[in-house]
This record gives sequence, structure tokens and C-alpha cells, in this order.
Amino acid sequence: MLTDPLDRAAELVQAGTAVCAATVIASDDPAVRPGARLLALRDGTVEGSVGDAGLDREVAELAAGALARNRREAVTVGSGIRVFLDVLAEGAQLVVCGAGHIAVPLARFARAVGFTVTVIDDRPEFAHPDRFPGCAVIADEFVDALERAPFGPVTYAVVITRGHEHDADCLEAVLPRETAYVGLIGSRRRVRFVLDTLERAGAARDRLEQVFTPIGLPIGAESPEEIALSIVAELVCVRRKGPAQARALRAAVEKTP
Amino acid sequence: MTDRDVLVKLRELRRTGVGVCLATIVEAHGSTPRTVGAKMLVCADGRLFGSVGGGCGERQVKSAALRSLVATRTPELVEVDLTDDLGTRGGDVCGGRMKIFVEPF
Repeated sequence: MLTDPLDRAAELVQAGTAVCAATVIASDDPAVRPGARLLALRDGTVEGSVGDAGLDREVAELAAGALARNRREAVTVGSGIRVFLDVLAEGAQLVVCGAGHIAVPLARFARAVGFTVTVIDDRPEFAHPDRFPGCAVIADEFVDALERAPFGPVTYAVVITRGHEHDADCLEAVLPRETAYVGLIGSRRRVRFVLDTLERAGAARDRLEQVFTPIGLPIGAESPEEIALSIVAELVCVRRKGPAQARALRAAVEKTP
Repeated sequence: MTDRDVLVKLRELRRTGVGVCLATIVEAHGSTPRTVGAKMLVCADGRLFGSVGGGCGERQVKSAALRSLVATRTPELVEVDLTDDLGTRGGDVCGGRMKIFVEPF
């Protein structure tokens, strides 16, 4: 028996592959039943069927378009058949450099909003699985650990190590990799030191300018939990609305007297 | 629970043979608590996973889910109207309308 398209979609999304599930939600055609669905993948693969070969081609094309635009919507095809195009994106990944006080609530909150979390530190007593349930934990030198961490278009990296030299090492390793977001914690002075060091070391200026620092949405966070919350709020904002929105929020607050 | 988690949970529940309905918001107009694509599972034993908007319309979805699980065995497109201004008729007050596709497994 063929795998059910929805089971297959769950499997794909868990493995990090984005997919559009196109489901018939209303139809008067007895061959095309509500609940019938096909899947369209980014590589052009189509699996499943809505029940009619001609219609499958049309729906697959619409599904591929929805996937490319990351847009969920109900559309009408054929003679009044309604199809819902559901974009099921690969899950976003968070890489946390530094396993200190902020990292614990950060990992917990990030998991709750759907991130797959990897935590890195060179101190095994901090980078310990007991402190980070449900997360991948790598206890190793930061640069070596980052080589083993996942990077790609849906990777968010947060640099919160215990010292600016480690911060600089981590950023230097992260910036050449593909990411959706890079954030760096620290006072303005400490952050300036890190960015200047990297620029002198030849890091790409446009990548340095993209680093979110100060990190986190400006909600007046003070405790480790509050800071973690402000960082996760920024991650959600970038994921849902894009980096421009997160920067606009900070700019608006900083402009307020 | 994210919508991705809901799909993974659905697969798990189907493997254990539990009767379960998947409810997905497929259209939303005006002010609705959750947007298109949001998912909820309604189990035959009454358990719920995920959310299509809390109180707003969830009762209607639950009864449609149980109807399709127990009686009709076919999917249903449920229209939920949340525009009862003050909730005077015991309705919901979010202000929008949505269509929710409910399918039994």
C-alpha cells in the first residue's frame, strides 16, 4: 500500500524538506473527493493524486507556486472544485553558542515555538544534555562544534558565550555559513570590540552589518528568562515577518524619547 | 504545539488506531484568532491537540469532528462566524469569519 500523503508530508517536514499539500475541500465531481490530496516538493516531485490526472497537473502547478511564494490559500480549479494549498515548511533551526544562564530558557522557549535547537559550549558541565532536554548538545571547542552544527536558509544563530573572544571566534565561524539570522549579545562596547576585531580579520562587511546587536526585541528585559524571551520574540518576528520588521521595531523604540 | 507537531502527532495517533479528525483553517476573513493553515486534532476519546483559535469556533469544530468520525465518515467544510458583536447570543466575538476543513481518519 502506498504511504498516505499526509503521513508522508509529516515525514518530509520532520526530515527538513518543505512541501505543499494540496487538498480537495469541496467538489461536486464524484471522481474528485474532498480529502483527496497530492504533495508538491521543491525539487519538482509530485506524490499522490486528487483523483483526476488532468486536474493533478493543474493542482501540482498551483501547489509548486504556493510553495515558492510560501503562501497558503484556497483556490478554485476545474469546474468549481475548491483546493486548499497548505505550505508545510521545514522547521527552523536554532544554534545557540554558549550554554550559560540565558541559554537554558532560550532553548526551552525556542523549542516551544517550533525551533529545533542545538546548544554549543566548550564546558561539558554547561553543555550537558540534562540542562537542555529535547535539544542537540555539543560539548567541544566552539569552532569545532560549529562545524558539526546544521546551517542553511532556515538556521538562526544566537551568540551568547561567556566572553568576547569566544563571541568573536563563533561569529567568525558562523558568518561565512548560510543563515536566516545571526544575533550577538553584549554591551555596545563589547559588541563594538567583537565587530571591529572581525572586520580587521577580513570578515565580509555586509554580513557584519546584518548581525542583530543589541540582540532581542526591546521589551526592557532584565532577568535571564526575560532576555531569553526577548531573543525568542525577535526570532519569531524574523521568521514570520522578516528581518526588516524586527529592525523597524527596535528603531521605533529607540526613536521614542 | 506547532502545526508541524500536529501532523506528526496525527501520524502517531493513526498508528495506534485511535479515531482522530484533523481540522485545518482553510479560509479566514476579518479578525480571527488564528490564520489559514492552523491545525487541531480532535480524538474520538475527546482529547484535543493544537488549536484553531481557542473558544472562538472550536465548539462547532468539535461537534463537526465527532459527527464525521462517528456518523458520516466523510470530510466536512465548517463555516464559523465570529461576528456576534457582543456575544449576546452566546456566540464568539472575535469579529471574523473562517472556513475549517474537518476530515476523519
